[in-house]
Amino acid sequence: MADIPVFFLHGLAYAGLLFLVSAGLTLVFGMMNVLNFAHAAMYMLGAYFSYSIMMHATGQFWLSLMVCPVILFIIGALIERFLLRRAHVHGHVQELLLTFGLAYIITELVKWYWGNYPLAVNIEGFLGSTVPIFGITYPVYRIFIFACAAFIGVVLAMILYKTRLGIILRAAVNDNEMANTLGVNVPMVFMGVFAFGAALSGFAGVIAGPLLSTFPGMAQEILIDAFVVIVVGGFGSLGGAVIASLLIGELQSFGVLLFPKLSMALVYLLMAAILIIKPSGLFGEEQ
Amino acid sequence: MSKQRNTFITIIVLFLIGAAMPYVLKQYHLNMLNEIIIFALFAVSYNLLLGYAGLLSFGHAMFFGLSAFMTAIGIIHIPGLSLWSAVLIGLAAAVVAGFLFGGLLLRHKGAYFALLTLAFNSLFYAVAIKWHSVTGGDDGLSMTRPDLSLGFATIPLAGLNYFYYLTLVIVGAAIIFCWYFTHTAMGKTVLLMRENEERMKFLGYNTNVSRLILFTFTGAVAGLAGTFYALHFQFVSISAISVDMTTAVLLMTFVGGTGKFWGPILGAFVYIILQNYLSNITDRWPLFMGIIFVIMVLYIPGGLSQIIISIWERFTGNKESNGEVAEEKEAVI
Repeated sequence: MADIPVFFLHGLAYAGLLFLVSAGLTLVFGMMNVLNFAHAAMYMLGAYFSYSIMMHATGQFWLSLMVCPVILFIIGALIERFLLRRAHVHGHVQELLLTFGLAYIITELVKWYWGNYPLAVNIEGFLGSTVPIFGITYPVYRIFIFACAAFIGVVLAMILYKTRLGIILRAAVNDNEMANTLGVNVPMVFMGVFAFGAALSGFAGVIAGPLLSTFPGMAQEILIDAFVVIVVGGFGSLGGAVIASLLIGELQSFGVLLFPKLSMALVYLLMAAILIIKPSGLFGEEQ
Repeated sequence: MSKQRNTFITIIVLFLIGAAMPYVLKQYHLNMLNEIIIFALFAVSYNLLLGYAGLLSFGHAMFFGLSAFMTAIGIIHIPGLSLWSAVLIGLAAAVVAGFLFGGLLLRHKGAYFALLTLAFNSLFYAVAIKWHSVTGGDDGLSMTRPDLSLGFATIPLAGLNYFYYLTLVIVGAAIIFCWYFTHTAMGKTVLLMRENEERMKFLGYNTNVSRLILFTFTGAVAGLAGTFYALHFQFVSISAISVDMTTAVLLMTFVGGTGKFWGPILGAFVYIILQNYLSNITDRWPLFMGIIFVIMVLYIPGGLSQIIISIWERFTGNKESNGEVAEEKEAVI
């Protein structure tokens, strides 16, 4: 069973990616009560922008890792300010429809500009090499993904629970009207959180590019998995997102090893089981 | 009383116009019309969820696709299967799936429900694409329409004309039944539940059961549409069960307007016609549909039917003051 460490590490890498995507999704949901269907489209845009940057400036992976989240932060802020806020007046269904429509448009634009086929992003240098670990040689890049996710998870937790900004954010989640009355600029906070979620998603997209291929279906693929993470972990819970990401990453990875035919269904079975046993998710509050 | 008679006359006239179409239209356009009728039923069933019950589902194609596949599988694997049995197989599959998955999905509301329906739609899609030996995977399934046996006579359905009449009668009747459903006590219950569920509970309605019944019903109707979709194309690809199909029905319903019963029917017309003509001009037509959709979400949440009604009111100068219409306008959410 020499495969086990390999599959375990594969699972960790995918879990890292899943966490980066679902953390933004769950933050935005927890705060604004908006389920952002366009979230994964931001992830895809991140991957494609990164591809284009690395086409023009060969090997500048670090550059695109810095630039893409900034671009997506701006896009996210614009979407929140000019589209989502307008739809917010009409209610939740309208917001969901809007983000769904945006995801659709972004996917079509991506197909138009970059084409409807997979693009490969190659990673060079130290990140593209392998290291010996647990008695096997393993690609550095997958470890790098997990490290990134762990780092961001810790930073997020620190911001949310140790800083003044975190207090404001949590207050806005808890009761945004009260926070507004107490002098917090809640619309500004919402815009910031939405834009930050988009940036996080774009960051995930950049690091996903070299791991998985960059293609127009990538958004929907990760969106479903991120949704499962949210259902399993509980809505709006960052801790739940961590545990559920690990669970689903490993389940996917070992599912391929143990039940190759059923690997895809396993994740859904887990979700259905959670729905039956604890509909609010592992760490979700009872509704 | 006169309103009821008007509706009756409208239905008869629409059927007569529909019946005359094979003599007016070319085969290509008749084919398109047949597709429109099938998708109109699909969109109507979707609107019962979205417009009437306020449930935003991103998984309606699972019933549509499931029935399409079950019909095709039945016809391929059971030799001599009659058309009625094939339709029944498709319908039964949708009813069972609607009941089982409805029980699971309806544990949540709002955004959570939307998310779960999308996830389960993907599950159906994943199963369809992986279970190659049954569904044909990426290749899809092709079959031939069985002939229609009426007991005393057998009508060949290989040609389009007779199949068009069958679609017109069965699918048309199903659309009318949906309309009738919205006027039954059950239909009203669903509408009122959307407005004030708490009060309905106090009045003694078991809202969970009502919602499950509605979900199963709309699933069955979508299944009937899926069955006819399979019979129409004599081919089922995995796109029938994909999220893209859900997106299509969502676009039809919303562009047509969720506030009126006939909105989705209009939406199906517009969507299929645009699909046929725009796709000749540009490959990017889904992009244009998406942009139209987002503009409508932001500025015209009532869809095309809202535009038509406001133009109508401007011309005639009188607002429809009927209580029921006002109530249905509230269905614009």
